[in-house]
Amino acid sequence: MKNKISGTTIRRSNGERAFSIFNYIFFTVLCVIMVYPFWHVVMMSFSSVEATARGGVFLWPKGFNLDTYAKVFRDPSIWTGYTTTLLVTIASTILGTLFTATTAYPLSKKDLPFSKTLSLLVLFTMLFSGGMIPGYLLMKNLHLIDNRWSLILPGLISAYNVIIMKSNFQTMPESLEESARLDGANDVTIFWKIIMPLSKATVATIALFTAVGYWNDYFSSVLYINSKDKWALQAVLRYMLTNTNQAMQSAGVTVAATTNVTAATIKAASVVVATVPILCVYPFVQKYFVKGVMIGGVKG
Amino acid sequence: MAASKNPAAEGWSDKCKRIGREMVKRRWMYFLLIPGIIFFTLFKYVPMYGLKIAFMDYNQYNPSQSTWVGLDQFIKLFSKRSFIPVLRNTVVISLLKLIIGFPIPVILALMMNEMRNLKFKKVSQTLLYLPHFISWVILSGIIMTLLDADNGLITTFINKIAGSRIMVLTDSKWFVPMLIVTDIYKGMGWGTILYFAAISGIDPQLYEAASIDGAGRWKQATNITLPSIIPTIVVVFIMNCGNILNAGFDQIFMLYSSHVYDVADIIDTYVYRMGIEKNDYSFSTAAGMFKSVVAFVLILIVNKIAKKTGNEGLF
Repeated sequence: MKNKISGTTIRRSNGERAFSIFNYIFFTVLCVIMVYPFWHVVMMSFSSVEATARGGVFLWPKGFNLDTYAKVFRDPSIWTGYTTTLLVTIASTILGTLFTATTAYPLSKKDLPFSKTLSLLVLFTMLFSGGMIPGYLLMKNLHLIDNRWSLILPGLISAYNVIIMKSNFQTMPESLEESARLDGANDVTIFWKIIMPLSKATVATIALFTAVGYWNDYFSSVLYINSKDKWALQAVLRYMLTNTNQAMQSAGVTVAATTNVTAATIKAASVVVATVPILCVYPFVQKYFVKGVMIGGVKG
Repeated sequence: MAASKNPAAEGWSDKCKRIGREMVKRRWMYFLLIPGIIFFTLFKYVPMYGLKIAFMDYNQYNPSQSTWVGLDQFIKLFSKRSFIPVLRNTVVISLLKLIIGFPIPVILALMMNEMRNLKFKKVSQTLLYLPHFISWVILSGIIMTLLDADNGLITTFINKIAGSRIMVLTDSKWFVPMLIVTDIYKGMGWGTILYFAAISGIDPQLYEAASIDGAGRWKQATNITLPSIIPTIVVVFIMNCGNILNAGFDQIFMLYSSHVYDVADIIDTYVYRMGIEKNDYSFSTAAGMFKSVVAFVLILIVNKIAKKTGNEGLF
């Protein structure tokens, strides 16, 4: 195979060589476009007020200082936001992944009575939903408004993840379960001791999908949580971005004060504070996401 | 067990008994289903039942006092002048996103597939996927910085070219193009993944045979790669058509302001403002329900069309 490919490479025409060069230049430029906005904001957050006011391209910090970060970290809502997000993300990832698996496993058995009907009912939730207001009224009736469980519960299991999990379970050889059943194991034991350990890759993918979803969730906080100190990080960030003046006050910056901090640098720094964890983890887990999509395919 | 030998001949009660026995035998399977059943019932099907308030005049202080009003909320929705522009904005924004944004991942995937340097390919894939995992909250923070009216990098650049001061985020002419560009920025890389999945499934022998017949890389791409991913293109297109009323709530909710309501207010933002901010629950539920029903019908239609034209449908 390898020889064949390099063989065709040698016989490339001029047009193909020109295209290849264009291709590499094109994607280099595209990568710069992908990365620069993040880079710009990071560098700006370390820059001085005068430099940010002048604007322009930020390849490096101009007038390096950490004053903005000192202010941002003094804002208690960043810390409460981080706490809420961490708690919610951890709890939801564990519970969500577990319940996705326990739902998908029985549904993967085509001969189980009602499994087809239940699968259809799960699929249906992908196509039709009650929407924002009935969901909000449900939380209100459950007395979960202003309770952090309202950030966890509504998104715990997604039909899409159930379908990915189900198609993974369906690829497992039946014989494994048969022999365990002959040894007297029941379905729960088989699920926990045999099926789950063999599905580590898929479980990891679902866990990551769930974790990213919860880490990025701001809207549940906006909808269900009234007290700011229970908001998730993304909702805190949204507040800082859309209400910069109040946010600066809560960071102890008065608008008139002559500090090395402005609305622009506060915005930049809070964006960085909320993004860094993702950027640190992302390169290592990216392949699992790709794998997840490959398992699920486009189809259910 | 004897009855199962000839299921066609067994009576109704025999069938029930057999299924009952099977269910008892596999009771632990149903035990595993308990959390899932509770979740989907409570958080998916109860809100669907909650759509009934679209046909009521919901009394938020005393829900039991709500009265049935039939289709009044829907009549109000379409007679209210504010909803028609909202519907138009929704369709315009998502159609533009679909028409302009849809072909880009296909082209990117085909181009990337021609790259022979695997390391370069890997790095550019990683970078192109990145924005997909960044929330609209963070991205909008970055967009606000770059489009800052006074000293944003892109604003300065545009102003130099246009020769006049343009404030993209508060200008009705520029807001929608901005939505489309940033939507493409976020989604184009991740959008290639499904096409890569399809490309990796192509039999390498096809390429070998083609190159022996003297087909160059261009011929191979247009005659082998592209036709092989057409079923995937169709399925992705179906999914996007079903989403035509989802113009991108998070993106718009983060970036819009009253300056651009005339072009940027979509069904979801309208539902939020009417329902959560103004507490008009029945009316906003009717608006939301209209959206869900149309989306549902649309996806059934496109799915049928896909199947009729010989492609695999979604379900």
